[in-house]
Amino acid sequence: MSKQSLFDKYGGFSQVSRVVLSFYDTLLDSDEIGPFFDNVDMTKMVDHQTKFIASLLGGPASYTPRQLEQLHSHLAITDAHFDELKVVLRDTLGEFGFEPGDIDAVLQEFENRRNLIVGAPND
Amino acid sequence: MIEAINEQLLRAIGVGVALLDRNTLGFRFQNDTFRDWFADKAEAASLDEVFEELDTAALGAALSETGRYTAEIQHRKKRRRMVIAADFTAATDAGQELVVLVCQNITRIRELESMIDSYSMMVERNTRELKREKEQVERLLLNIMPRSAYEEFKSFGVVTPQLYDPVSVLMLDFVGFTEMVASADPSVTVTELNDIYSAFDRIGEQFGCERIKTIGDAYITVAGLPDPMPDHANAIANAAIRFVRYLERRNQSHPHQWRCRIGLASGAVVGSVVGIQKYVYDIFGPAVNLATRLQEFSEPMQISVQDEVAKILRDRFEIESLGEKQIRGFADQPVWRLYDSKKDIAPVRAG
Repeated sequence: MSKQSLFDKYGGFSQVSRVVLSFYDTLLDSDEIGPFFDNVDMTKMVDHQTKFIASLLGGPASYTPRQLEQLHSHLAITDAHFDELKVVLRDTLGEFGFEPGDIDAVLQEFENRRNLIVGAPND
Repeated sequence: MIEAINEQLLRAIGVGVALLDRNTLGFRFQNDTFRDWFADKAEAASLDEVFEELDTAALGAALSETGRYTAEIQHRKKRRRMVIAADFTAATDAGQELVVLVCQNITRIRELESMIDSYSMMVERNTRELKREKEQVERLLLNIMPRSAYEEFKSFGVVTPQLYDPVSVLMLDFVGFTEMVASADPSVTVTELNDIYSAFDRIGEQFGCERIKTIGDAYITVAGLPDPMPDHANAIANAAIRFVRYLERRNQSHPHQWRCRIGLASGAVVGSVVGIQKYVYDIFGPAVNLATRLQEFSEPMQISVQDEVAKILRDRFEIESLGEKQIRGFADQPVWRLYDSKKDIAPVRAG
């Protein structure tokens, strides 16, 4: 049998949806990262965060590396932004009772995508 | 005292409440929640400055007609888009015409709806992908076993070996295949072999034959399996003749000449899925071995036939005796040659 995903371990969509909303709130309120979402439509933003969290937890979503790169290519995201988002993610998961080992695994998944997301805007 | 408590409550509840002058739509009162939501518009004196999208004409008309009006209003608070359900009710107080405005914050509901949409779309896409994958696996499995065996395999995870009696087996082998692979580009040879096998499959299907397997340049197909077929011998003979016709026509327009030997035999076979991890559907039985041996008696592009099959075929096909033959693993027996009556002229038959 294949290993249970974190998505399933932490209660599937009904629980993960709470993580997504909390993460979404924190991001909007953050003065470092929030401005990236100033002109993003709420529906798109929620859609993006849902897919983001679900795919990090091994749920039913996955952005291909190419999609991730395209989605972020027009944004001037720095390593500092990325690190800040990691902190937010760590805090959020901690708040929802994720085990430290699992949090590390999720952050590692996220870290693996760093160079797809961080970069000078290419327009 | 009661009034003071009421006012306290009104200020503190999680619902935005405001009192408006009906004629000017100017604010008479705003509770704390309302003030908090619209903090950036605190200076606004009238409603249309706060709710820019509000259709004030429609509001006025509805209030005159029914005394009520509802609207959904979007409002940006910092970078968050708030969605507010606004409920207006006409009221009078000491001769003054007023409007009571009650606002519910339904932002969370809208956000949740978006999330559910997003999630269900992902799940639906995954379901579609799974279904496609399943169909692909099914197609693959149907290539290596008959549908009835596949259905059994799907339901029970095993396929019980089953006896099919009688069936007719066709064994086809190519002449000089090894040399052809060595002398020509192997990938070209394999591509051509694939074309030919696909054509054989189509021809076989027309006559109700089930292709069992190919081993390199050997092709085995059976009539009478999985569904019994009274006419299995004629069916296999028809397929054999058309395999040869197909190759002859193909050879006229291709540099590579493909020439085959065919053997036909009838009897009982057992069909089963063999293997656990790498399963393959196969058939076993004397008819399979005999067809293989008979094929060796064929000259290129000719078809050798077992005596029992020949007895059935002679009503409809041209056949010629090759005499009594020694066959490895079998008793000596007469072997026959099957001709394509549309083309070959059989030599004058003895007797």
